[in-house]
Amino acid sequence: MSHLLIENKELIKIFYGLIIAVICIFIVYRSDKLFRISMHKGIRYFRNAFLFYGLAFIIRYLFGAMIFYNYLSQFYSPVINILFEFFLVMAGFFLLYSLLWKKIETTEENYYTSLFNSKIAIFYFMSLMIVLLDYLWGTHGFMFVSQIILFAVISIVSYINYIKKGGRHRFLKFYLIAMLFSFAAWVMNFITAVYLNWNQALLINVYILNMLIFLLFLWGVVKVTKK
Amino acid sequence: MAKKRERLDVIKDILNSVRENRQIKPTRLLYASNLSPQMFKDYINELISKGFIKLEVDDKEKKTFSLTKKGFEFLQEYKVIERFVENFGL
Repeated sequence: MSHLLIENKELIKIFYGLIIAVICIFIVYRSDKLFRISMHKGIRYFRNAFLFYGLAFIIRYLFGAMIFYNYLSQFYSPVINILFEFFLVMAGFFLLYSLLWKKIETTEENYYTSLFNSKIAIFYFMSLMIVLLDYLWGTHGFMFVSQIILFAVISIVSYINYIKKGGRHRFLKFYLIAMLFSFAAWVMNFITAVYLNWNQALLINVYILNMLIFLLFLWGVVKVTKK
Repeated sequence: MAKKRERLDVIKDILNSVRENRQIKPTRLLYASNLSPQMFKDYINELISKGFIKLEVDDKEKKTFSLTKKGFEFLQEYKVIERFVENFGL
């Protein structure tokens, strides 16, 4: 079975990227609708997180496939990698910020756009630094380490939110589980890349775990926005 | 002790008061909102800037608040918004 999967890994990657991109588009659409009505900043940052995840997966897997099947020149390969990393790191920052914005911003602070303002500029700067360092060192190490730290922090914040509600909030428990899965996925991805020379069989498990995380979010958004 | 109202609850209460009265004077809305004058002012400014309510002044300089289309939409979707914010810890 794993032999068959490895043989068709490019097709699987396209399928994987496509599914995650569709999930992200759906989440962005639903959360944007709620944001437009409520003008709630938390919803706005949550929407932005999935907007960036969507962009990252579309760029990495669909354009990546175009290069693999020679529809696009190899020349674009580093550009795609840089953009993929950048959007992925930005998405992680937005997800964290959606949980912490209340402690950082006041409700009176109104920015014309949540995609670029003085506070978000820090994320852009940090993401650019991570991408630049990875590019110069020819590695993905800085991205892996940053995401492992980021999801460890998000898991802690999610745990605090869950405990604050008396440890009985079923949905916050799912959110915490999704964040712990994300943390585990990044650790697995790091180990696979750095110590196991991108072992394809293990990488497929990372893909499955990632897919599960996005499906959990999809389920959550569908359930919550159902009237 | 009564539980402190969440921000979204306060907004919902203000908008509901405006909707129930169609047009409501600032003083009446202040009483109905159960907020301190300063807090009330902050919320009202925010609701006006976000386009949920509008302030109208008649010929006799009398001020009244009324609900906008966006304000109506907020009240209709309030439960969903509240659930979304609470469940995703936003």
